[in-house]
Amino acid sequence: MENWREIGATLARNKTRTFLTAFGIFWGTAMLAMLWGGAHGLEGTLRRNFSGFSTNLGAIFPGETSVPYKGFNKGMHWSMTQNDVDVIRRITPDLEYSTTICQNYGTINYGTKSTSAQITGYEPDFSKILIPVVYSGRVFNSSDEAGSRKVALIGKNLAEKLFGTEDPIGKFVSAQGVYFMVVGVIGQTSMASIGGRYDDSLLIPSSTFRRAYNWGNQVNFFMYTVSPGLSPSDLKTQIRRAICMNHPISPDDDKAMWFMDISEEFKMIDNLFLGVSLLALFVGAGSLMAGIIGIGNIMWIIVKERTQEIGIRRAIGAKPRDIIVQILSEGVVLTSIAGLAGVCFATLVLAVVDSQTADPVLGSAGFTLTFSQAIGIVLTFLVLGTAAGTLPAIKAMRIKPIEAMRDK
Amino acid sequence: MIIRLKDINKTYPGVVPLHVLKDINLDIERGELVAIMGASGSGKSTLLNILGILDNYDSGEYFLDGVLIKDLSENRAAELRNRMIGFVFQSFNLISYKNAVENVALPLFYQGVSRRKRNMLAMEQLERMGLADRAHHLPGELSGGQKQRVAIARSLITNPSIILADEPTGALDSTTSHDVMNLFRELNAEGMTIVIVTHDPGVGAATNRIIRISDGRIVPDEPVIAEQPQIIV
Ligand SMILES: Nc1ncnc2c1ncn2[C@@H]1O[C@H](COP(=O)(O)OP(=O)(O)OP(=O)(O)O)[C@@H](O)[C@H]1O
Ligand SMILES: [Mg+2]
Repeated sequence: MENWREIGATLARNKTRTFLTAFGIFWGTAMLAMLWGGAHGLEGTLRRNFSGFSTNLGAIFPGETSVPYKGFNKGMHWSMTQNDVDVIRRITPDLEYSTTICQNYGTINYGTKSTSAQITGYEPDFSKILIPVVYSGRVFNSSDEAGSRKVALIGKNLAEKLFGTEDPIGKFVSAQGVYFMVVGVIGQTSMASIGGRYDDSLLIPSSTFRRAYNWGNQVNFFMYTVSPGLSPSDLKTQIRRAICMNHPISPDDDKAMWFMDISEEFKMIDNLFLGVSLLALFVGAGSLMAGIIGIGNIMWIIVKERTQEIGIRRAIGAKPRDIIVQILSEGVVLTSIAGLAGVCFATLVLAVVDSQTADPVLGSAGFTLTFSQAIGIVLTFLVLGTAAGTLPAIKAMRIKPIEAMRDK
Repeated sequence: MIIRLKDINKTYPGVVPLHVLKDINLDIERGELVAIMGASGSGKSTLLNILGILDNYDSGEYFLDGVLIKDLSENRAAELRNRMIGFVFQSFNLISYKNAVENVALPLFYQGVSRRKRNMLAMEQLERMGLADRAHHLPGELSGGQKQRVAIARSLITNPSIILADEPTGALDSTTSHDVMNLFRELNAEGMTIVIVTHDPGVGAATNRIIRISDGRIVPDEPVIAEQPQIIV
């Protein structure tokens, strides 16, 4: 209590300098906090483009053979079948989720309204691989697939076109002349997609698709995720082996099928995030350094400017510890108040940015600072600032009080 | 014996070391009012700083109120300065952004005395100096004489064993100097031991004993002329 008054009195003594110092600390902490929260938000903005998109995703597409095999010429087209998929699933234990995909483009009708859209057949696992936003209704379950039920999920844009404000659930739409009952309205959060965006598609169970459009057991391609710890490419050999069992394809023919491994792309994106974080860290360390040097500098000036006062105080009985504690307390009080203000200011700015960039579906990009990050910034300034202030304070003790008093 | 100096020597180190005090032997009794006089550069301030534990000496022994003052830690020196010594300087050495009461009370802050008590005691001292109405003025708003009386009030607040004054009238005009010297005489009459460094013969004459110092040595005593009472008007 006694000391607080003393600190208040000395801080109030040179208001301009106190204000400038406080502003420097305020600015330093605010910059650091905004940088940190900004980097976090930037990462969030990029990352939310992929929300719902599994990062351990692989896909395999049929292609054209590039070597002759078992009497077949090279350049042979082959089609993937449900049979291939059954073998893959049997001999590949590390599949996490998987689905066959059948696709068609055609006319969709509801009542008098008509439009063209992509019609895609999925197995129920699709909703775990490319997680959809379900606006109403439900997604497919295993009995939809097993029973080849004539049910459909409708993309939100397509639903708007055909239904306007009407509720599509329970209504029948015809796709290429076949009727399906709408059981769900879905959309997609991820900017990335494989096999077309949900928003503009009509989705039906894969088995229903094949039966409705007489595809037999043919499918377009196969999409899967792998168990944690593995990468989609790790399953290449097994999948290739499964397919070669059913088709006259040489086991050495690399071009006969096309693999896609999304985790490779995500590694690049992860590297990008790492780069952004490193940059933020670098710039942050820079502004922290500048802030600390600023505090140290100001402390130096404070001590210099008050040499005479320190001499007087020591002559009338202040112990070195009293003086050092006083100088440091001033620094601590100033840093705490200005630092907290800086962090609060940054939080406000970040909150505004966050609400401006928030997406109605995707939500906040994460231009935020955790409480512990904020406290961490203030504490860092406090500790380093105090350390920077200790030096001149200790140095001031080397001057004899009598010489200090003579200082003008 | 409040002050006893035995063979004190002090040399300022440097490219050309300066032997400022040479074999100083000096005793000052409790209740004395003493002037230290001598030419400029003779070592008066140096001696007073040693007496005030603001500076150290190279050889000899200094006892203050029976305590050997030698090789003290800075903490112990600060404590002894705070409790036993009151300082009055030529340039007042008041803290410019603190008002009169706060300046007077400051030594008690370092004793951990509560603010209320400090300010109460400081007010008493200021009243004694006839400065009660200036208690809340900053030093910049006071005249030289008033500033010096505030400084004297501050030197008295811890009830020290001795008051050391270096040219206390050096920055004052003659009338004000007289006032300050009268104040010192009053304090001395109440029993306070006071040592004043000066080169003003008038000030010297207002004390009870003059110690002359020349080129770092004490010049043997000469009897004091009994004319000082005239100075008190
Ligand atoms: N810190 C110091 N370092 C080196 N030399 C010093 C120091 N302080 C004083 N001196 C020298 O020591 C000598 C005595 O100085 P001191 O201040 O004691 O003299 P003084 O008698 O008080 O003189 P004045 O009447 O002018 O105040 C002077 O020659 C001075 O230049
Ligand atoms: Mg001097």
